[in-house]
Amino acid sequence: MEKELNVVGARLPMMDAAQKVKGTALFTDDLILPGMLFGKILRSPVPHAKILNIDTSRAEKLPGVKGVVTGRDIPDRKYGIVPMAKDEYALAKDKVRYIGDDVAAVCAIDPEIAEEAVELIKVDYEELPAVFDPLEAKREGAPEIHAGIKNNTSFAIRKEFGDVRKAFAECDAIFEDTFYSQPVNHAPLEPHAALAQFDPLNGELTIWSSTQIPFFLRRNLSNTLQIPESKVRVVKPKVGGGFGQKIDLYAKDFCAAWFAIQLGKPVKFVYEREEVFISTRQRHPMYITVKTGMKKDGIILAQKFQAHADGGAYNSTAPTMIALSCYFLMIPYRVPNLIYEGYHVYTNKPVGGAMRGHGIPQARFAVERQLDMIAERLGLDAAEVRIKNSIHAGEPHPAKFIINTCGFSDSVKKAADAIGWKEKRGKLPLGRGVGLAGASFPSGVSNMSHISSGAVVQLGRDGAVNVLSGAADIGQGAETVISQIVAEELGVPIEDIRITAADTGITPLDPGTFGSGVTVRAGNAARLAVISVKQKLFNFIADKLEANVADLVAKDRNIFVKGSPEKGMTLSEALKSYQYADLPMPIVGRGSWMAPATEPTTLFKEDGNFAPSYSFMTQAAEVDVDLHTGKVKLLRMVTAHDCGRAINPMLVEGQLEGSVVGGMGQALYEDVIVEKGQVMNPSFLDYGFPTFLEMPEIEAIEVETDDPIGPFGAKEAGEGTQLSPAPAIVNAIYDAIGVNFMELPITPEKILDALEEKKNRKNSRSDQCISHC
Amino acid sequence: MKQAIELNINGDTHEILVSPNNTLLEVLRDKLGLMGTKRGCDLGACGACTVLINGDAYLSCIMLAVDAIGKEILTIEGLDEGGDLHPLQRSFVENGGLQCGFCTPGMILTAKAILGEEKHPTEEVIKRKMAGNLCRCTGYKKIFEAVMSVTEQSGKEF
Amino acid sequence: MRLPKFEYFAPKSLKEAVSILQNEPSAKILAGGTDLLVNMKHKVECPPAIVNIKGINDLDYIKQDNAAVRIGALTTLKHIYMTSLIQEKLPVLAEAASTVGSYHHQTMGTLAGNLCQQNRCKFFNQSQWWRSARPTCFKAGGQICHVVNKKEICYSSYCGDVAPALLALNAKILVTGHKDSREILLEDLFSGDGKAPLNLNPGEILAEIIIALEEMDGVSSYIKFANRESIDFPIVGTAFWASMENKEYRVAFTAADRKPLRAHQVEAFMNGKNLSENILDEASALAAKEAKPIKTSVYSTTYKRRLMGLLLKSTVSEAMRRAKS
Ligand SMILES: Cc1cc2nc3c(=O)[nH]c(=O)nc-3n(C[C@H](O)[C@H](O)[C@H](O)COP(=O)(O)OP(=O)(O)OC[C@H]3O[C@@H](n4cnc5c(N)ncnc54)[C@H](O)[C@@H]3O)c2cc1C
Ligand code: SF4
Ligand code: FES
Ligand code: FES
Repeated sequence: MEKELNVVGARLPMMDAAQKVKGTALFTDDLILPGMLFGKILRSPVPHAKILNIDTSRAEKLPGVKGVVTGRDIPDRKYGIVPMAKDEYALAKDKVRYIGDDVAAVCAIDPEIAEEAVELIKVDYEELPAVFDPLEAKREGAPEIHAGIKNNTSFAIRKEFGDVRKAFAECDAIFEDTFYSQPVNHAPLEPHAALAQFDPLNGELTIWSSTQIPFFLRRNLSNTLQIPESKVRVVKPKVGGGFGQKIDLYAKDFCAAWFAIQLGKPVKFVYEREEVFISTRQRHPMYITVKTGMKKDGIILAQKFQAHADGGAYNSTAPTMIALSCYFLMIPYRVPNLIYEGYHVYTNKPVGGAMRGHGIPQARFAVERQLDMIAERLGLDAAEVRIKNSIHAGEPHPAKFIINTCGFSDSVKKAADAIGWKEKRGKLPLGRGVGLAGASFPSGVSNMSHISSGAVVQLGRDGAVNVLSGAADIGQGAETVISQIVAEELGVPIEDIRITAADTGITPLDPGTFGSGVTVRAGNAARLAVISVKQKLFNFIADKLEANVADLVAKDRNIFVKGSPEKGMTLSEALKSYQYADLPMPIVGRGSWMAPATEPTTLFKEDGNFAPSYSFMTQAAEVDVDLHTGKVKLLRMVTAHDCGRAINPMLVEGQLEGSVVGGMGQALYEDVIVEKGQVMNPSFLDYGFPTFLEMPEIEAIEVETDDPIGPFGAKEAGEGTQLSPAPAIVNAIYDAIGVNFMELPITPEKILDALEEKKNRKNSRSDQCISHC
Repeated sequence: MKQAIELNINGDTHEILVSPNNTLLEVLRDKLGLMGTKRGCDLGACGACTVLINGDAYLSCIMLAVDAIGKEILTIEGLDEGGDLHPLQRSFVENGGLQCGFCTPGMILTAKAILGEEKHPTEEVIKRKMAGNLCRCTGYKKIFEAVMSVTEQSGKEF
Repeated sequence: MRLPKFEYFAPKSLKEAVSILQNEPSAKILAGGTDLLVNMKHKVECPPAIVNIKGINDLDYIKQDNAAVRIGALTTLKHIYMTSLIQEKLPVLAEAASTVGSYHHQTMGTLAGNLCQQNRCKFFNQSQWWRSARPTCFKAGGQICHVVNKKEICYSSYCGDVAPALLALNAKILVTGHKDSREILLEDLFSGDGKAPLNLNPGEILAEIIIALEEMDGVSSYIKFANRESIDFPIVGTAFWASMENKEYRVAFTAADRKPLRAHQVEAFMNGKNLSENILDEASALAAKEAKPIKTSVYSTTYKRRLMGLLLKSTVSEAMRRAKS
């Protein structure tokens, strides 16, 4: 591990923290342009229908309305965040597929008029039969949601690793259980927004958008609206949380751009909270059946996994999501033989998309729950079983992952110790329990296109270090982390760094904030850029000092010969003499970084190393179940996380704490309730994500490993922790009351029902072991 | 029907043309450009739009602008002290009590209202009263620590 | 989400307010606005005029004379639970007020506004666009009900937290109208009609809430059960008051019926008895029968009934604990 770090590893406040506490940090909706107009989208009130006619005449006549657009007006191009899965139009063309689908948009001189105007648009629908459950949608004869997609199954993958039949035959015990994980909304506090401006003189479109993926947005705007990519500039202002929901493109982006181009005026769209709930994305609801075969001692030999993801009306990230939930079944445990069958099924409901963990939390819920159930049936210790099956660094992997560092079994031990596993598990009074669950997550993805990051670092005479990065900071602090990396390399305090991030017109390419790859990918790019700057400077100084380049160090705004600080100069002296030596200023360094893919792979065709590195974590929960009311209180959550080296421990803790509370929400409080295709709780009042009063005690334990690939040994910390709080909590509930819950969320009502049922039919088990156990 | 009203915001008097159906949030943001007050839900359920009215924490998205006539309105923009961060603001920065920052102005103003009511509120009181301000990023822990650390500083008046 | 347009009045006296309301019978009173303005944004209430009564001077007080504790209509919920008289002598009221919504709603929300809040229903408390997915329901001015597809009856639920506490305290209210003022039992304010939940005549304003002094001799408690500890409306809330010497008890529920429910049958059964485990079991069973929860929220009615029984026991044991200490 690299020693003696000053800026990396420090608990520094975010660089923009002062702006944020002063209220001067500008989010998309905070931007105002001269002559700006306001847009609003008309949404479908029916779950499935043909659009027969749209009459916009009344809306157009309303004073103050400047434009109305429908799907007929916009080029006939489908968009989609995953190129192979494009199935959506900016505005519905001939059909609507869920309540909330984008039908038309208006643009007016103020938001009030825009709101009034959409209500004046008359749409004639011919309603079609709708389907709301993926298992029904998959049946023969179910309504067809997208023409030509058989059984509404837009993606199906089946993968087999090892020899599963043979392995099952060798098992001592085989268990099969079915689980369900509910839809969860990301609910970022900032509603989605876009502001577009068009310059007719040079044909340039600029759009400010609350997005996690500026460069993908640029590409899709260009493609959908048929304007050259070189003429589209996407600027990312401050983004008020995303959690994956802003890894997609929305009608607001296309419509703002469309109106701006048509009217030559800036146009802003801001979604209502209700639209965020209904018409953006949510975590896919999933039915999962897992069959696991084990030896008596708890070693997993084989697993068969079948998942039906309820995709809602469109694909969004469908193929990526099912691939992720498949591959990450093979980590953090050694599963030598695995069959995975995954289906992405359309229904007439809100659309599933990437959400913190992206397809994996659902799978983890099933697997981690089942591991506990099996351990219990085989009389094994649940923590031991996890340690026994843990994957280790350097091991050959069935899907050819390359695990350079792995702190998983360590994380299980540490989390178990911290929660008091030995003293508590199975020993607490009725109503109290502890449980744990593990997980692993990629630090970015290797096997897809468009995944390299670039950075530019520039030193001027003024001593300011200018960094250009395409990384999209959405509140996690990416800009701060990148700046810390640059500051560390250059031996300057972070105050000297000026970072410009995520402006496709200025900053180098970056795929965006997803797959937890930002620190590793954009961090490495920035590090390469600053190293190249440093090299230029060092070469020059080495000459001057008659020293070896290799002996020079940069520290505390000084550059000197290692071991003899007196032999050196300040950075600003160095820059000055560099300039007087008539060398070209500013000093510019470039870096770009892509995960070292040993074999180029794609999600569907081949196996291969999925990510440059993998983080590992275990969550351990202690719960209190009120036997009277059924209310579960998460008392304490320990999270032991191998995220390599923390570039900024305070920010890493923030990520872990946020993930724990989010995961708790999924376990106990949150559910997008849909009746006949209509979301019944599209508000912060009715969709109950945790408040201050639900906050558990959180203890974050670092399991440090020294990863060779991440910058300064860093791995991901943004998503992994949200994979297993839910199963940890539900496992703890089992420990508390002896009920195995198979469906999320665990509401007080379910607890009471289960306790009652348990009283009624003591001893008879609902779960069964399908073979000798 | 629009009418001209005067509002006292952050110590300054503003004359503005409003309709009775304009909320205070709309006036602050859309008419006065005071963008520190955030619109998270627009339906009184998240606290992002918190402002102080005569020192009390109000949700500006469910308050009429005309209802604020004659009252002292404090928004996040009026909190710092001659350019220096207010102790609460400083504490949020130093304790990492924010991530995306969208909930932050509301959190800070609510905390200020609480500390205006009781100098040394208990942990329980802080949690209870802050619980109308939603945050989806932090899990609340560091926000809580930020507020606690201010209450623990002795003798400060807020 | 924008508010619909309306004419705005800010009277300075009760008299002036009453006379404005007299001229504009479909005007709405605005107090804290935390209920009304949300409904207006959803366009389930679109009054032509708003009468902001907050500028009326003498409606914000908590005072005690030799007969009663009197609370002005505009007294905020926060003021109520932060007043030591209420905390110490009428804990059921302090508790109920402190569980309403969040701190902000307690700061903005007034006692009268809380009592007079609209009934709630999952098909009603939604935006105009949301509701356009179905025919307009009876309460919103249409012909049908999406919950009970029968006659023209609205089953929306009363969900306010404070009413049950005041019902358990046998509170009265002073209603000021155009001609005179009348003092009625709070219980009689609630009509039980989901569409028009209040028995107020056009132009009438709830001016004062009156709690007889002897109520302070009893023990009491309010327990709210909700998904989260803050913000959420109750799934069920239960208030309990008891005079231990007289073995006299009062029980009230919220979010269990079309009005806040004084559980008279339960009380009749309990009165005069010592509250043993068995008696409480029976009382709980009765409680679950006395209310008529309808599925107007996402929570099942069986669950609500079960909670009523459970919460009754909890409030009783909390009150008993208080009686002892
Ligand atoms: C997110 C959220 C959560 C909430 N949670 C809860 C909760 O948990 N429990 C709860 O009880 N409430 C809750 N509420 C509702 C509301 O905040 C409270 O009920 C509050 O006390 C209402 O008081 P107000 O003064 O703001 O009422 P207003 O909105 O001003 O008025 C409410 C109604 O009463 C009428 N009214 C007001 N004053 C008088 C009067 N003097 N005479 C006659 N009629 C009058 C008004 O015309 C209106 O119809 C919540 C609201 C929101 C937005
Ligand atoms: S109960 Fe029926 S009529 Fe009443 S609000 Fe609900 S849907 Fe409308
Ligand atoms: S924006 Fe006002 S409470 Fe959410
Ligand atoms: S910091 Fe993002 S919502 Fe609180």
